[in-house]
Amino acid sequence: MFRFFKELYHWADVQGHRIPAVPRNLGITALFLCAAYYASSILIGHTGGENNSALVFVLAVALISLLTSGYIYGIAASIIGTFCINIYFMEPYNAFSLSRTGYPVAMLSMIAISCVVCALTARVKRQALEAVRRERSTKALYEMNEKLNAEKAAIQLESDRISIRENILRAVSHDLRTPLTSISGAVAVLLESPEVSPKNLAMLHDIKQDADSLIVMVENLLSVTRVQDGTIPLKKQEEMLEEVAGDALLTTRRRFPDFHVELDLSEDILYLPMDSILIKQVMVNLLENAIRHSGDREHIRMCLYRKEDWAIAEVQDRGRGLSPEVCQAVQAGQPIPRSLSGDSTRGMGIGLSVCQNIIKAHGGFFTADNLPAGGAVFRFGLPMEEQPA
Amino acid sequence: MSEKQTILIIEDERTISNFISRALTASEYRTIPAFTGKEGLSLFFSHGPDLVLLDLGLPDIDGLEILTQLRGLPREIPVIIISARDREAEKVRALDMGADDYVVKPFGVSELLARIRSALRRADRLKLSQGIQRSVYQIKDLTIDLARHQVLLGGEEIHFTQNEFKIIELLAIHAGKVLTYDFILEHIWGPYGGSGSNQILRVNMANIRRKLKENPSDPKYIHTELGIGYRMLDD
Repeated sequence: MFRFFKELYHWADVQGHRIPAVPRNLGITALFLCAAYYASSILIGHTGGENNSALVFVLAVALISLLTSGYIYGIAASIIGTFCINIYFMEPYNAFSLSRTGYPVAMLSMIAISCVVCALTARVKRQALEAVRRERSTKALYEMNEKLNAEKAAIQLESDRISIRENILRAVSHDLRTPLTSISGAVAVLLESPEVSPKNLAMLHDIKQDADSLIVMVENLLSVTRVQDGTIPLKKQEEMLEEVAGDALLTTRRRFPDFHVELDLSEDILYLPMDSILIKQVMVNLLENAIRHSGDREHIRMCLYRKEDWAIAEVQDRGRGLSPEVCQAVQAGQPIPRSLSGDSTRGMGIGLSVCQNIIKAHGGFFTADNLPAGGAVFRFGLPMEEQPA
Repeated sequence: MSEKQTILIIEDERTISNFISRALTASEYRTIPAFTGKEGLSLFFSHGPDLVLLDLGLPDIDGLEILTQLRGLPREIPVIIISARDREAEKVRALDMGADDYVVKPFGVSELLARIRSALRRADRLKLSQGIQRSVYQIKDLTIDLARHQVLLGGEEIHFTQNEFKIIELLAIHAGKVLTYDFILEHIWGPYGGSGSNQILRVNMANIRRKLKENPSDPKYIHTELGIGYRMLDD
């Protein structure tokens, strides 16, 4: 039952709000005053002079101020009601009169009571409105909070993924490097030891060589996982390219003590932002590539120079040169086809694609060509200035 | 040498520690292995080694913390850091805190031995000189005469700018020790000199290398520690 009224009220409220405020308020005021007049007419028929018309009108005023907006309609209704009572429901009927004792006081107090009721209902209404508004903003805050939480969770997930990846990389790099370092180191100690027979010495040499190439392989794999999908930023710092090249040459010489390489430096100062460990790796790979696959160890040259806004490094050899397919694959930035690299050049494909990836991550270019005089040249260029992302 | 020099190896990886130990024993050093930081410190105080090899990634104490404790002592024992490849910042901090040199895993035996020899020689020199600065330094055919402000290469004088000479002088005084970019910058250009960029130092070094006719793939005088600093060789 209560529910029914609540829904009815709600329906009326919604319907009522379709009508503009002023006509609606006027309509409500007129409706309730008429109702009060009608109810009082009925009451007066039953009870005569001692009627309760004043209370009926006060109720009407209370309802009017509850249902209209602002004080004006309630106050107007109370004044109209007072006159109405005086004229229609007090002796002498159908005439305005203040002649009976106590009439002015009754009239004034009725106006005052109506006004107070009116003000109180207005306050209740305001508080109700305030409560609704507060509830609404609480709801908005709650929703906003939900949204932020969802976003936070997404960011957390993403950073978790990156940190898991970095942890794996760190673990792999540590867990592979440490045993490889000790294998290579232990063999190096044995190689120096006088108690090893010449036959075993050859085997130890092989172990050392394989351990060292595994070390290089691990470095390559780590570098390529780091740059491949771009989730881990490069550790860029300004470096002199010739210092990086010098370090790369030193590392290569340690592995291939009998090889000779010439380094051509230009007068240009090649000081540019790069991840020096990765660029060194590119150089080491290219040098190793030339030593192992070109068939010529005597005339390997490395040149550093500047061309326009690029710092360029070249590794040249006088070996058998490259097949057009290899040149094309490098030019297109594709991996070297397995069938072309063959077994004798095992590792060449991985080394070169590591180079390509690293250079690409630096915003540079990587090419392979044959020299007119014979032999191959691998060339990469790095931008001299940091490029806006 | 009449008495064997003692080297304390603070390294938690037993396989690495073992092969270093074998290599050093073969080269006539006495070795003491320590597998944790605490053990390392107590062995240091009970044995008084001539040199310490220190891994930065120890399970119990931060390697840098051990370095701080060793550097707080009156007698300066050379320390060589063993570190992983991708911890550049840690290496630089260790060097700035007074470590002499570093090797990066994976390192070779000969490389490690060369650095140990160099650090020990430097310590000997410091002990002999008793704080009195030498005025002439000799590295292979390179003579650096601080008093006369002169550099001779194979008997022929090479002209350097004032800053270039200051860099050479600094490297010579600390020959055998890796000097970080920040260390050199601060000593040559003052605490605020070249702040933010070390291009000025790198360009000066490039000029010095050209004047010394250094072959970067086989440096005779000045070794470049990529991304970290420079070290003058001392043999």
